[in-house]
Amino acid sequence: MRKLSLLAALLAGSAVTTPTFADGHLMIVDEPLELTIQMNHARYPIYEESWPVEQAARELTGIHLINDTVGANMRTDENTGRTEALNLMLASGNIPDIVGSSRIRDFVNQFGPEGAFVPLNDLIEEHAPNIAAYYAERPDIEAAVKAADGQMYYVPYLPDGKYGRAFWIRTDWLDALGLEMPETVDEYEAVLRAFKTQDPNGNGEADEVPFFARQWPELIRLVTLWDGRAHGSDTYHDFLVEDGQVTHGYIGEGYREGVKNLARWYSDGLIDAEIFTRGSSARDFLLSENLGGATHDWFASTGGYNSLSEKIDGFKWEAMLPPASPSGRRIEEHRRILVKPDGWAIGHTNENVVETVKYFDFFFTEEGRRLANFGVEGQHYEMVDGKPVFTEEFLAQGPVNRSLYQAGAQLQARGYFQDYDYEWQWTNEFAKAGIELYEQGDYLIPDFLGVAFTADEQQVYDRTWNSIRDYMLERQQSWILGNGDVEADWDDYLAQLDEMGLQELLAVMQSAYERQYGAK
Amino acid sequence: MTDEHTTAGGQSYEESVIEASEANRQRFDDGRWTRIFDHFKREWQIYAMLLPTIIWFLVFLYKPMYGLQIAFKDYSIFRGVAGSPWVGWEHFQTLFSNDQFIRAVKNTITISFYNLLFGFPAPIILALMFNEVMHATYKRTSQTIVYLPHFISSVIIAGIVITAFSPTAGIINTFIGWLGFEPVYFLTQPQWFRPIFVGTGIWQEAGFGSIVFLAAIAGVNPSLYESAVVDGANRWQMMWKITIPSILPTILIMLIIRIGNVMEVSFELVILLYQPSTYETADVVNTWVYRQGLQSGQYDLAAAAGLFNAVVAFVLVMTANTLSRRFSRTSLW
Repeated sequence: MRKLSLLAALLAGSAVTTPTFADGHLMIVDEPLELTIQMNHARYPIYEESWPVEQAARELTGIHLINDTVGANMRTDENTGRTEALNLMLASGNIPDIVGSSRIRDFVNQFGPEGAFVPLNDLIEEHAPNIAAYYAERPDIEAAVKAADGQMYYVPYLPDGKYGRAFWIRTDWLDALGLEMPETVDEYEAVLRAFKTQDPNGNGEADEVPFFARQWPELIRLVTLWDGRAHGSDTYHDFLVEDGQVTHGYIGEGYREGVKNLARWYSDGLIDAEIFTRGSSARDFLLSENLGGATHDWFASTGGYNSLSEKIDGFKWEAMLPPASPSGRRIEEHRRILVKPDGWAIGHTNENVVETVKYFDFFFTEEGRRLANFGVEGQHYEMVDGKPVFTEEFLAQGPVNRSLYQAGAQLQARGYFQDYDYEWQWTNEFAKAGIELYEQGDYLIPDFLGVAFTADEQQVYDRTWNSIRDYMLERQQSWILGNGDVEADWDDYLAQLDEMGLQELLAVMQSAYERQYGAK
Repeated sequence: MTDEHTTAGGQSYEESVIEASEANRQRFDDGRWTRIFDHFKREWQIYAMLLPTIIWFLVFLYKPMYGLQIAFKDYSIFRGVAGSPWVGWEHFQTLFSNDQFIRAVKNTITISFYNLLFGFPAPIILALMFNEVMHATYKRTSQTIVYLPHFISSVIIAGIVITAFSPTAGIINTFIGWLGFEPVYFLTQPQWFRPIFVGTGIWQEAGFGSIVFLAAIAGVNPSLYESAVVDGANRWQMMWKITIPSILPTILIMLIIRIGNVMEVSFELVILLYQPSTYETADVVNTWVYRQGLQSGQYDLAAAAGLFNAVVAFVLVMTANTLSRRFSRTSLW
């Protein structure tokens, strides 16, 4: 296998564009082998045997994946209830050979040690040279996927690219009001206030919504403008690590300062009055109605709204750098996380464990990775100068991401290493300009990659965290909406959190963190 | 409620059948089992009609009771109900040491109390009002209109409520704006949650709930009204002296059933309408169970909370039934 992957690298390196289907150097089995799979992720609820990527993988490896997903919610595009589907699968007593899902990490880390999933450390060492090579380079990621017993139970989906969300603003409104691009939080506030009071959309009404967000936790992220912290990773309300200590953003001084100011912004009308209930259509509605002034959202999809310039005269919507906090720090809290809690695992009843691990490894080979990222050569992309480039016809088919899901590529529940180039090829110019703007500085901060608990630690977490989170969010929303004053309530708030077991929880997180990543 | 429809001269058909079979039974009294067999042979059609309900009860209400034991276990889905270790009352201790759970219990009872106070009389009043409407077309049209919301799913109801109470586009705030006041962001303010929730429930269910009372009113003996008219009573007096006393047994039965459901606030509507900022008044036991138990996979804790709920509901319905039997001689059993 080691030799074979070397060959694969050679083949790719020499830019061979002929289909690699025939030569069979990636073949894992002599006779076709069928493996069952449960696959259910954020974008798609089952595994389709007709996917071109599955067909190609069959040709290359000889392994056929047979869909055996339970609990799929086929009625929605935005597939929900993945965790419930996993629980249902486990409760049914029938675990397929392969289980792939979003948010699979906590699940396999809990039930893997109980015996439901196959531990992968030795298998990867012996049979998966490409995965092993990846982990040899990234020991931090290897540490992040391990369970409390030191075993890996899943092969993760590894996103590529650095940037996720950014600050966006209507630059044509800035021009219309004769304002400069805001560089500090005070300037940002002045701009938002001008959006509210000086009628930049020119309809004679003060109906502008200066700051809005599709997901209200993005509003909380603004506490970074006052040196606070909100979300420690791309999971909202997550913990974070400061100087080797696990802590939470919602107990920091900067957070208090931030919430105090956000409450003021809210009561002054600088923040969407319906921020907590408007929901996912906020961006679409407020931008296309020429009402929204600024938000914090994904580069690529948000930049795409510049097509509204056909409808709204002069519409210009650009990324801006994070405004500097009073102490002069500029932070973009959100980034693409290095390793997702998504991926796939091997069920304990699997009789072909070695072949399965080799199959997992296939997606870390040059060809496998290309297949998982770009789809099938000739059908979705062509090789140009040794690089896969999407064909014009494929890009014209509509949203590229969705077309790829529908071909079986870019599945978040498959363990593979994403290639950001797949996205860059069709990223709109506004998002590209924004990313290049952010590239000029150093605004990103490290993500918290999560910890795996022992059974005892898990109990403490289960008992305390949900209640603590509920309480934090309850107070947070109340303060911002003006029901209560964060300055006056702060000491009681901290005391109540301690009473609910926050210190105990942080101690447990800390010991798990040190076990997983080593004490600092 | 006994049946008074015996014919004046003698026995009804049913009575003669019963008497004949009694006579039969005494003649061939060869043992209890034969009697039971005969009984089933004779009445099998009635039992066949009962069967689906019995099966439904067994499958959906009795079989799941096996799983109740996970309230006393450290349940792992993988190990299964039988394979998980016992932990005794640990989950109940966790529940009662959790302030949010206590608050959820209080909220449940408060919301249910308001539901009972305002929501229970609403369909009765509606039924009495329909009863007084004389114009047939008008009556039918308005009845259809008030029944309709019952058939709309909670998701859509919640959507209507959220839109109606929206601070920028909602009809309520538009009115408030016309009166010259500032808009109110109703759905994020704890003090507004209960009125909105209870009001929504009444709007949705009062019409449909009035059907049972209308049926009871239709069963009132018309001769009572005729003699009241002869005695010169007006409609108001007839309503108070005849209609309401006649449907009182129905009202009491409905009340007992309702009390049994006190712990069951329609939680899908709560989930759709609440926000962290309104948890303070809106978080009920079932939503708490949903967040703690189902979303984070703590089925054992959720089962303990559910069991607690069921015990409270059982005690309440027993108490209501006993009180009702003692004071009004109307009861479920």
